Amino acid sequence: MDVSQYLEIFLDETTEHLQNLNTQILDLEQEPENMDTINEIFRSAHSLKGMAGTMGYKRMQNLTHDMENVFSEVRNNNIKVKANLIDILFQCLDALEEYTTNIRESGDEGTNENEPLIKMLNDILNGKDGGDAAEAAPDLKATEAAPAEDNNGGKKWLDIKLDGTDQMVISEAQKQGKKVYGVTVKIQETCLLKAARAFLVFKAVEELGEIIVSNPSAQDIEDEHFELDFSLIIITEADMAKVTAAISNVSEIESVLADNIDLSAMQLDEDSKTVVHTEETTTAEKSAEATTAVAAAPQASAGAVAEKKPAANKPAAGKPVVNRTVRVDIEKLDVLMNLVSELIIAKNSLVAASAASAQQTGVATPSGVNEQIEYLESVTTNLHESVMKVRMVPIESVVNKFPRMIRDLSKKLDKKMELYMSGEETELDRTVVDEIGDPLMHLLRNSADHGLESAEVRAQRGKPAVGTIRLDAYQDGNNVVIEVSDDGNGIDTEAVKNKAIDRGAITPEQAANMSEKEIIDLLFLPSFSTAKQVTDVSGRGVGLDVVKSKIEALSGEVEVRSKYGQGSTWIIRLPLTLAIIQALMVVVGGEKYAISLGSIQTIEDIAPSEIKLVQNKEVIHLRGNVIPIVRLDKELDVVSTRGEDENMTVIIAKKGDKTAGLVVDELLGQQEIVIKSMGKYIDNKCKLISGATILGDGEVALILDANTLI
Amino acid sequence: MEELKLVGETIQYIVIRLGQEQYGIDIKYIDNIVRMQHVTRVPKMPAYLKGVINLRGEVIPIMSIKLKMGLEEDEATKATRIIIVKLEQAGTIGMIVDEVKEVVTLDLAEQVEKLAYDKEEKNNFVQSVGKYEGGLISLLDLNAVVQEK
Repeated sequence: MDVSQYLEIFLDETTEHLQNLNTQILDLEQEPENMDTINEIFRSAHSLKGMAGTMGYKRMQNLTHDMENVFSEVRNNNIKVKANLIDILFQCLDALEEYTTNIRESGDEGTNENEPLIKMLNDILNGKDGGDAAEAAPDLKATEAAPAEDNNGGKKWLDIKLDGTDQMVISEAQKQGKKVYGVTVKIQETCLLKAARAFLVFKAVEELGEIIVSNPSAQDIEDEHFELDFSLIIITEADMAKVTAAISNVSEIESVLADNIDLSAMQLDEDSKTVVHTEETTTAEKSAEATTAVAAAPQASAGAVAEKKPAANKPAAGKPVVNRTVRVDIEKLDVLMNLVSELIIAKNSLVAASAASAQQTGVATPSGVNEQIEYLESVTTNLHESVMKVRMVPIESVVNKFPRMIRDLSKKLDKKMELYMSGEETELDRTVVDEIGDPLMHLLRNSADHGLESAEVRAQRGKPAVGTIRLDAYQDGNNVVIEVSDDGNGIDTEAVKNKAIDRGAITPEQAANMSEKEIIDLLFLPSFSTAKQVTDVSGRGVGLDVVKSKIEALSGEVEVRSKYGQGSTWIIRLPLTLAIIQALMVVVGGEKYAISLGSIQTIEDIAPSEIKLVQNKEVIHLRGNVIPIVRLDKELDVVSTRGEDENMTVIIAKKGDKTAGLVVDELLGQQEIVIKSMGKYIDNKCKLISGATILGDGEVALILDANTLI
Repeated sequence: MEELKLVGETIQYIVIRLGQEQYGIDIKYIDNIVRMQHVTRVPKMPAYLKGVINLRGEVIPIMSIKLKMGLEEDEATKATRIIIVKLEQAGTIGMIVDEVKEVVTLDLAEQVEKLAYDKEEKNNFVQSVGKYEGGLISLLDLNAVVQEK
């Protein structure tokens, strides 16, 4: 059996489950008695076991099986949640993660049996009753379905809701002497292609008679949206033994239950009041509601559990959230994004061509054409936004692992600390989210390891014993800002200075003239670490320069604010979109350049006399602020076409809370531009230029990176 | 270039003109040949990097082989072409040449003479010489041409 086509889904879902487990176990540590959490953990562990089993990863299955056993006992109140259990569980999760990584890299789970872990789990189990651990775990499904089965004895067709037409068909058939059976088919747990087996069952039954109702619906069965069993109501002339035999002939069928249908014992639709509701119906409904409530968590596995429920009265509540989403390969989205880019370039060309033809012929473009072009513009802009949104994912998926990491660090470093996070729902482009995890981890580790002081120092400084690390994310205009802050030591600029001199990065004379900010920037030099000791948490000096280069590769930037003795804040600023931006087109010395609207604050008309010199640098006074002036013609090595005494057009650009005035010759207007790389050979050779774009007339314009000028 | 020289093994070269001299470029590197067009200057680049052009929606860097070789500035004429080459390390690059003449097929054993070739030397872009119809064609080592020294 080839399961490789499911591998990707398996990996995705496993990662999700592991993350869920991590979060839930952390919660459990806080509230050891919370039944909801315990149930959730149990379900996740069970789903993991099932998935690993299906994919043939035996070792993974064994480990999850044992974890499940422990949880089943916790659930039954036979084991209490203690600190050592939590620790073991976390180790198990790490082991599972290792399996997953192995599978992702090589398609094989590896050979680590993790026997010590399994033994520890079993010790916990045996410590309680010494019973057979393997038998201790009742199947989740059995437990879940138990209340219903008390009434129905596994005859799940009794839960099928019949509407008026179905009842009429059934009673009509019974009048004609045909037989009406309810059948519940259970497929073996090891079966991989449940939908295919179900299809064969349907086919076998249809040869003998007619299927009037199936639960779940035929469509859901086809899409494999069911657990291990499904129920049918069939009308046939054949006798029951023949029907069950036909179904049992299909391979991988575990059991077939069939019986004559008694309309009065069935659940009936609300509006078919003609038939009396029996006692049984109401109890079945109650159990349905109870189980649905347990499974109400909007999570894939929980949703699946809810779906097989006899959720007769509220099909909407049982509908899994996952049904409304589609997994799409990121490459397909990239293709889509490229096509949108080309569409925007084509649209820009159309605008340029229409303007050019109007100029040539001297006849204004007919207003109908202009209207349509404007309409096209709004459509392409919306299309671009929609595609961008599709690519956006909340940073939650990345930051969720941090509470666990901080917990581990807290134990390892023997410092008390607490991580507070906000803005986990902030969305970023998927490619950025994938890359941002490592830099954030570095910063958090940094804060934990040499940001926060030891307990004694904290006490001396009158700080609370538990150190605070914060991770805040929020959107700021066209940027997303992620801040990592701690209330620890802050950056000791003297230590940094001395270290830099020791390393020969700067001379003592240079050091004396450096501003605080310049000194802090030294931290981002390769192989620079101020930790006096190298621990395995941080201090090998591979951290901050990697953080910086990674963030810069994502067209973002890092900034540090620190106050010695009070803590430091690392601010990461990332662009919302990477491919298409709104830009202001300007002309400098006859050349066209684009400046991202995101970095522009205002545009000013300044008389040359307003320019003052401060420390030999040109500045202007603007509404109480002193803003340095950057003459773009000098920076770009061109000659300005403006006369000396003419008024200047100054673009006030901002970066964080710093501003600068960029002097340009002419403004062309706002345009949506597609950022193109300038090719391997030339990219990143000029710091001022962050890329190029193709204008409507086919010409290339360069994109100025205003940030480098501030 | 492959060290192995088998009789009958041939390579096709595109013959280009730079100033008065003829050069050959191995055809396997060549992606496209386009007419000279407006090149958008990129600031702060060495002189030989002329800028970028739009080649069917892609932005391609353009360099002047002549400036890189220390010859005089290109003068755009009707015959001037941009040869788009694809190199493993440097990616896609357009190179300005004065004229594209023809495609020749040279027998490696008979017609190609390796030169005593010093990779370290600064302006050495010619790795071998081809003999063709009584004339000589200098065969360019493109990787050396694009390399920054």
